[in-house]
Amino acid sequence: MMHGPTGPSTKVVSTAPVLSIGAVSKSFGSVRVLEDCSLEIAEGEIVTLLGPSGCGKTTLLRCIAGFWDADGGSISIDGQEVAPVPVNRRPVGVVFQSYALFPHMTVAQNVGYALRMSGAPKLKADETVASALATVSLTGFEDRYPAQLSGGQQQRVAIARVLVMEPRVLLLDEPFNALDAKLRGSMQVELRQLIKTLGLTSIFVTHDQEEALTMSDRIAVMRAGRIEQVASPDEIFDRPATAYVADFIGVSNFWDAEAQGGQVALPDGKTIETDLSGPVRVMARPHNLRLAPPGDGSWTGKVTFHRNVGPLIEYHVESSVGGAIRVAAMRQERARPIADRAEVSITVIDPANCAVYSGE
Amino acid sequence: MTDAALCAQIAPPRIGERLADALLSGRGIWPAVPAIIVLMVVAVVPFAILLSLGFSDIEISRGDIVSQTFSLTHLTNALTDPLYWITFQRSLNLALTTTALCVLFGYPVAYLFLVGGKWTKRLILILTIAPLLTSGIVRTYAWLVILGGRGVVNQTLMGMGLIDQPLRIMNTHWAVLIGMVQIHLPVMILPLIAVMSRNDSQIMEAAENLGASRLGTLRTVILPLSVPGIGTGAALVFTLSYTTFVVPQLLGGGNYLNAATMIYEQVVFSLEWSKGSVSSLLLMVSCLIVLVCIALATNHFTRWTKGREA
Amino acid sequence: MKVLRKTSLGDALGIGLILAVAIFSLLLLVAPSIIVVIISFDTRAFVSFPPEGFTLKWYSEVFKQGELVEAMLNSLQVGITVTILCIVLGVPTALACVRGRFRGTTALSVFVLVPHMVPGIVLGVAVLFAGALVGVSPSIWLQSISITVFILAVMVRTVQSRLMRLDAALDEAAANLRATSFQSLRTVTFPLLMPAILAGAVFTFVEGFDNLSVAIFTHGFRDRPLPVELLSLVQFTSSPLVAAVSGVQIVLAIVALILVSMSIGLDKVNE
Repeated sequence: MMHGPTGPSTKVVSTAPVLSIGAVSKSFGSVRVLEDCSLEIAEGEIVTLLGPSGCGKTTLLRCIAGFWDADGGSISIDGQEVAPVPVNRRPVGVVFQSYALFPHMTVAQNVGYALRMSGAPKLKADETVASALATVSLTGFEDRYPAQLSGGQQQRVAIARVLVMEPRVLLLDEPFNALDAKLRGSMQVELRQLIKTLGLTSIFVTHDQEEALTMSDRIAVMRAGRIEQVASPDEIFDRPATAYVADFIGVSNFWDAEAQGGQVALPDGKTIETDLSGPVRVMARPHNLRLAPPGDGSWTGKVTFHRNVGPLIEYHVESSVGGAIRVAAMRQERARPIADRAEVSITVIDPANCAVYSGE
Repeated sequence: MTDAALCAQIAPPRIGERLADALLSGRGIWPAVPAIIVLMVVAVVPFAILLSLGFSDIEISRGDIVSQTFSLTHLTNALTDPLYWITFQRSLNLALTTTALCVLFGYPVAYLFLVGGKWTKRLILILTIAPLLTSGIVRTYAWLVILGGRGVVNQTLMGMGLIDQPLRIMNTHWAVLIGMVQIHLPVMILPLIAVMSRNDSQIMEAAENLGASRLGTLRTVILPLSVPGIGTGAALVFTLSYTTFVVPQLLGGGNYLNAATMIYEQVVFSLEWSKGSVSSLLLMVSCLIVLVCIALATNHFTRWTKGREA
Repeated sequence: MKVLRKTSLGDALGIGLILAVAIFSLLLLVAPSIIVVIISFDTRAFVSFPPEGFTLKWYSEVFKQGELVEAMLNSLQVGITVTILCIVLGVPTALACVRGRFRGTTALSVFVLVPHMVPGIVLGVAVLFAGALVGVSPSIWLQSISITVFILAVMVRTVQSRLMRLDAALDEAAANLRATSFQSLRTVTFPLLMPAILAGAVFTFVEGFDNLSVAIFTHGFRDRPLPVELLSLVQFTSSPLVAAVSGVQIVLAIVALILVSMSIGLDKVNE
């Protein structure tokens, strides 16, 4: 309904990005919160800004929405620079962390707010509100107040409220924070499907990697005001560009090594190719390692602890190289896990799936 | 949506709209300007004039000032006049005693608020806020009724046969003191309640779990934590009771002179402008000195509220 | 642990003493007003206790006394004027203090507080003298504006504390949803501030109606406000008439109390 025959997502077929962010920077006093951030987002794409708190992801979102002005660089929507455009005229819809629903207005009044502010005729506005509420399956809730709704329903009102504006870009600031953990999983899938159906170009801010992996077409991992890597969830997980990204997403084992002649020797005797030379850090995911009886390899250790993680068993091994190493193994029914304090050796399953970063 | 429509949507705003927004949105100082002007004209300028009157000789004819010359005579006159010393000392004694008694009688109420249930809390709030919304004269008048020759106290005592002549309570220091404490008690209780309800109730439970008796918990945990409330309450009660006019005038029988009643007489009856100005300034300065002392004492006892480096 | 330890006698006595003082204090707060109300129904022409009959004549007498009625009307006018001025001046000031993006927001909120910290009689004397110098004599208007300046801080503080607790995202949401700053103020901020404004209005009205310290120096000699009239009445009359006026005022206070508890709630009065 939001995108009828003239809707942008169905009609406009172009490769030009909807939103492009070029070398944006921002400081508060002497503190640099954004540095040289660049990102392009295509029509209908969901991109996640992922990072720990204080990494600048919310700042970037607020600069796009226009709540704050960037110090340098450019932000443009459909090729048009938005810097001179005030907040209330940007074609951007924001779903706030707290949802920021107006507590003194009913659901219908909240959803119709943008239309009233821009002076849309009442009949037309009522129609639009009704269809927006239908889109988020809240028909029949028109006269409730936000306080009378559950967290999930409030979130849907917040989304319907920006949908009526037909924004070019949807910005979601940690929208699952206010929900309890149990509800989050199902809401994530539901929200992603809704956004995809509507074909909305979206930026989603979170510090939760699982949320990011579920929601996004691409993930931009941020660190201290910079974007470290932008890639699809699979690529981020399998080929993290930096040690920071590898450490932030999923579980990783790191150890120091020496690169010589385009090769790095792994502790179990295998080797991997690299362009680097000198001191390096090698990363292996727990599921790329395997435990074997102690005599089987040169990389030895002692199991200190194990726990069940769904279908996997995660072993913590105090090892000769790299200290505490985590190894994941498939759980076999009726088979006993390796006992704590047992001597083991560790081998790398596929050296090609290890990553090598330059040592610091 | 067409490209043209989109461009219209994100076009820069009109100048007029920007101007109206700047004035009305509350981001600038503009919304406060009317209040600032009124405060300047009706408070700051009058204070400046009061100051200048206190430090000058003036000659008045038919309500207009004919000449005004700088002089310290009024200040030195006041400072060497024993009547001033006696009056200010009496005011100070009365206000400090009132403040101390208000802490003594107010603190148990705050403690009851802390340990009491929902209805106790509500009752205490009603009983402390209601007097604040009632005229001070009405509340003082009640004491005339209670302490007067044929008032509640005397009738009761005579009825019980304890005395056969009515006691003379009215128009004494005691009448003034009783009235002062009762009238200013709510002002003491409210900040105490505020600071107590801010504290984590688990702190009390922790203290009791660690073996403290209820009295011990009060002395070692609740009391130290409520010092800021005592400070705020004491400052408010002191200011009000030091500068009050109604209670001494009504319960002191018109001949109980404190600083406020003295200023009233100088200004309204004897029309001594310079004297009135000097007295007002002395009242303000002496009040400020005591307030600073209260603040310093409060600070000393709440060092734990300061930052980590302390 | 708890079961094993017996409450010591000293502890029980101490706590008992404290609670007894608390109950005494609470009685002290309320008893005088109750006695005044009882006295106001006495049939005798002098104040004594206990009363010897029941009559409403003192209440009808209150409204027959021309001077008293006029004084009440004067105070009503002052109360309303002070309330309106405090809303008009105070609410925008609170907005500037909290939302302002200029240097000196803290200085501004302190500046507004200053006249309230100064003893009322000092403010009254200062305004009286300053007015006399520029040829403004005491009047109901001088009284109203002086009390406004004295009590403005209460309105500003009440609105300010509510404003600070509003989610800042509400305003941003309004802006994001196409509202201009003014529209967002009108449709979001003001409706949410209404309870605080109402509570502030109750307090400023009561101050305008009951204030004596500022009023005694600034009121017009022909328009005596109720507190000034009452002050002389209390000093020179001994009939239960004053008790009846007090009864009327106590009823007003109860109405004010109910209004406050309905607007922001009694537990928020402290802020």
